[in-house]
Amino acid sequence: MTTPAALTATALGKRYRGHWGLRDCSLEIPAGRISALVGPNGAGKTTLLHLATGLLAPTAGTIETLGRTPGEDPDLLPRIGFMAQDVPLYRSFRVREMLEFGRRTNPGRWDAELAQGRMDRASIDLDQRAGTLSGGQRAQVALALALAKRPELLLLDEPLAALDPLARREFLKALMEGAVDGEVTVVLSSHLLTDLERVCDHLVVLSGGRTQVAGDIEGLLEAHRVLTGPRRDVDRIEGVAAVVQQATTDRQSTLLVRTDGPIIDPAWSVHRVDLEELVLGYLGQPNATALPAPRLARTGAEVSR
Amino acid sequence: MNWLTWRQHRAQFLFGAATLAVITLFLVPSGLGIWHTFRSTGLAGCLAVTGRDCGDLASTFSDRYTGLQFTIPLFMILPALLGVFWGAPLVAREIEQGTHRLAWTQGLTRLRWMSTKVVTLVLATLAGAAVFAFLLSWWSRPFVAASDNRFSFGVFDLRGIVPVAYALFALAAGVAAGALIRRTVAAMGATLGAYVAVRTGIELWARPHYEAARTISYSFFGSGPHPGSGDWVLSTRTVDRAGHLLGNGQSLDFNVLHARCPDLPGPSSGFVSKAPIQACIQRLGIHLQATYQPGNRYWLFQGIESAIFVGLALGLLAFAVWWVRRKVA
Repeated sequence: MTTPAALTATALGKRYRGHWGLRDCSLEIPAGRISALVGPNGAGKTTLLHLATGLLAPTAGTIETLGRTPGEDPDLLPRIGFMAQDVPLYRSFRVREMLEFGRRTNPGRWDAELAQGRMDRASIDLDQRAGTLSGGQRAQVALALALAKRPELLLLDEPLAALDPLARREFLKALMEGAVDGEVTVVLSSHLLTDLERVCDHLVVLSGGRTQVAGDIEGLLEAHRVLTGPRRDVDRIEGVAAVVQQATTDRQSTLLVRTDGPIIDPAWSVHRVDLEELVLGYLGQPNATALPAPRLARTGAEVSR
Repeated sequence: MNWLTWRQHRAQFLFGAATLAVITLFLVPSGLGIWHTFRSTGLAGCLAVTGRDCGDLASTFSDRYTGLQFTIPLFMILPALLGVFWGAPLVAREIEQGTHRLAWTQGLTRLRWMSTKVVTLVLATLAGAAVFAFLLSWWSRPFVAASDNRFSFGVFDLRGIVPVAYALFALAAGVAAGALIRRTVAAMGATLGAYVAVRTGIELWARPHYEAARTISYSFFGSGPHPGSGDWVLSTRTVDRAGHLLGNGQSLDFNVLHARCPDLPGPSSGFVSKAPIQACIQRLGIHLQATYQPGNRYWLFQGIESAIFVGLALGLLAFAVWWVRRKVA
């Protein structure tokens, strides 16, 4: 895959008072894709997105967003749409004024029609105060602000966290409509996976401030299998590159494995994994990693048992 | 950006304008009354002639308006409130409400955001404080003329150009405190504390020394630093011919005098006539030494004090802009 990266982090670290929010984190998010940034609370998702926008400056390592260094390059901000966690809006502003805010602070890029259209479609009254909007409406306004500046890269930090299932679906629908036209790269962070599965095609799992899994979702699903079979010591199975997670009962072993070829050992029955199983499997084993090709040789040795 | 500054801070601007309007509504009518009394009692005419003794007229005039002294502490604290209500929330409230993540990720840089807001607030502060200082200088001129003291606490601080510098300093302290502390209420408290501390420190320890004070010696029965020129007397000491301090140096103690002039009747002997005391004073060469700042240094001192506070303000604002650009998120 040779698509240019929208986001590149190299040995990136951010230290807060007393602890690292992100440490030795390297990853690449390809352009033109919709990436899910997944991890438990405190994994460093927000820190990574803040570093990508320049809200924070790295303590160690480097980060490049759309080929620029965030925080130093004034040409970068107009090209990023960012929707922060908890969806901050000026509570006393009317929706109309929030859109005016977007127009004034994004000179030359603002698409007023798009913003207006999004508000119409979401049936949001332009005279309503931002502070009185429902969670779903707030998210819609924030998304409209982020989309109407016509970003090349859209970074959304936990946009679904506060939404009920219906609002979640509406939001993702709006996101898909907005992201389809134009060549916009999207990164969505979440600790909920099920919603992202339908819209994302690339996955990054952060855990403990490091990248644990990164790759094309199709490819990842293709490369992992769940094996079940009678209980026994697992030593070497033909076709298995690494055992990610292993659970045994008195009689049976269940393995989540990364494959490097067909598994033909008849002792095991082989199942496909779904994305949630895969992510939870990795998150349960913080030392296990599945990273793209150049690092595979090294990470293979790191896989724990 | 100007639209945003106005939209976000219009409540503060309107409240500030309303405060200024209330002050104007108080100062203009009462000031007209004060000026009328000043002229109609003949005090203004008396003071216009150099060398005339207007003491009685002046004290009658001042006594009539002692009730207005309550305004002095109010006017003194007013510039600090600009820092508290305009300056401190500027960055702190954005961070507290998380909206800095919205404001600083739009198309404009943080430097632009910060500098536009700061410049607008500075201009509004300068305009408001200038009106305030001008009105107050006009309003209090009769009192200053009657008391012949432009330098004293509560007078120097409220007139001329220094109130503008104080207001600017308060604003800058508020902006810096808000950026540094990131919590509105705490930043407001810190702003008020810093303002009072810096103002007091400079008032007590720096202002008397902007220029080397002059020393003058004068007869016990004569008059001190030039009356009518508004000299700022820093200290007066009672000394003998050799320059030794007499008693506590503040007032002439009869017991001290008796010890040095044994021919004076003792303190227990009742009424002592003036003549032997005068003779004693003359024999010992008792005189007064005063250190003072000449009245013609008034505008120099106003300028130096203003320069100090404007300098501090610019330093704090530069720091706040730098801090927000590089450190805060």
